[in-house]
Amino acid sequence: MYIIVVGGGVVGHGIALELQALAGHEVTIVEADGRRAAQLREEIGEMVVHGDGTEVAFLEAVGTDRCDLFIAVTADDGANLVACQVAKHGFNVRRTLARVNDPRNEDLFRKLGVDSTISAARAVMAQIEATLPEHTVIPLMYLEGSDLRVVDLRLQEGAPAAGKPIKDLQLPAQTLISLVIDGNGPRVPGGDTVLHVGDEVIAVIPADAEEQMRELITGLPLGASSSVPDGR
Amino acid sequence: MNVVIMGCGRVGAAVAGRLGAEGHRVTILDTDAYAFHRLPSNFGGRGLVGSGTDNTMLEAAGIREADAFIALATGDNRNILAAQKAKHVYGVAIAVSRVKDPLRSELFGRLGIRTFSPTRIGADLAHDVLFSGE
Repeated sequence: MYIIVVGGGVVGHGIALELQALAGHEVTIVEADGRRAAQLREEIGEMVVHGDGTEVAFLEAVGTDRCDLFIAVTADDGANLVACQVAKHGFNVRRTLARVNDPRNEDLFRKLGVDSTISAARAVMAQIEATLPEHTVIPLMYLEGSDLRVVDLRLQEGAPAAGKPIKDLQLPAQTLISLVIDGNGPRVPGGDTVLHVGDEVIAVIPADAEEQMRELITGLPLGASSSVPDGR
Repeated sequence: MNVVIMGCGRVGAAVAGRLGAEGHRVTILDTDAYAFHRLPSNFGGRGLVGSGTDNTMLEAAGIREADAFIALATGDNRNILAAQKAKHVYGVAIAVSRVKDPLRSELFGRLGIRTFSPTRIGADLAHDVLFSGE
């Protein structure tokens, strides 16, 4: 596989080292700052190239047209978005992945054709929310090419879903409860599996089913619950 | 029209002044308050200090009510990000971005925003002026 990584900062450097360990892939690291590029080249080798990873002519020169996976991880959201869009629409790269520094930009990136996004702020928030007892629906992963997502749910006191077997639940369409985690650890549920208050559930749900699921596991109507207490 | 402009450099200030004189309601953003001294003294619009790639700033500038957005800041990528955000997040009908790199200008001009490349225009002009005396 040919992989291009735009951005040789802390994240790009880390990715380069990991990819190096995975033998058999061709990797190019693109770094816009000349001094940083020279420094990386000394440490990692020939695969580091000095140049602007958002510039069409430069991306052509590094063979973006035969790239299988294009990754943009600079600290600048504009550069990451533009690099991925140029790769996708200018060179028909099949898979693009961008780091999103401002989490509010995530939806825009995905709408504009970036296949996967990574937001450090959002990843850390998901971890924080998962440890809060009041956490309700936490997105774990967005499935490409669909509006499906994998979410983590915890059944609250008074949840309509508690005490009932899964087959009797009024689940939204396209929803699958794939894992139930209780005091005995995780298990794959069947239709007769009964959910209890405090159980953690991993489910695949469509984007528009989130509120319905929230209601099922909290018993609170739309908008009445907040996944993070606001502290006021 | 309600127009939001990002970047109060020489071009941004001149366009803001011109649109204002034509009777449009203009809000112009720049990260540096000093930039607003470039606006004509009779400019009747608003100047706001902040980044046009930031959602909070765009909302403060009235992006939701804007009919047009023009990105004229320094970096091509910031301009493209902001113009696409205006268009696709806030539904602004007309989003314009200056893109110095002619190839990037052409590519993004096909992806829903309006673009122009001062590099290309400048090169054409330089060429034409060279031969204009003949």
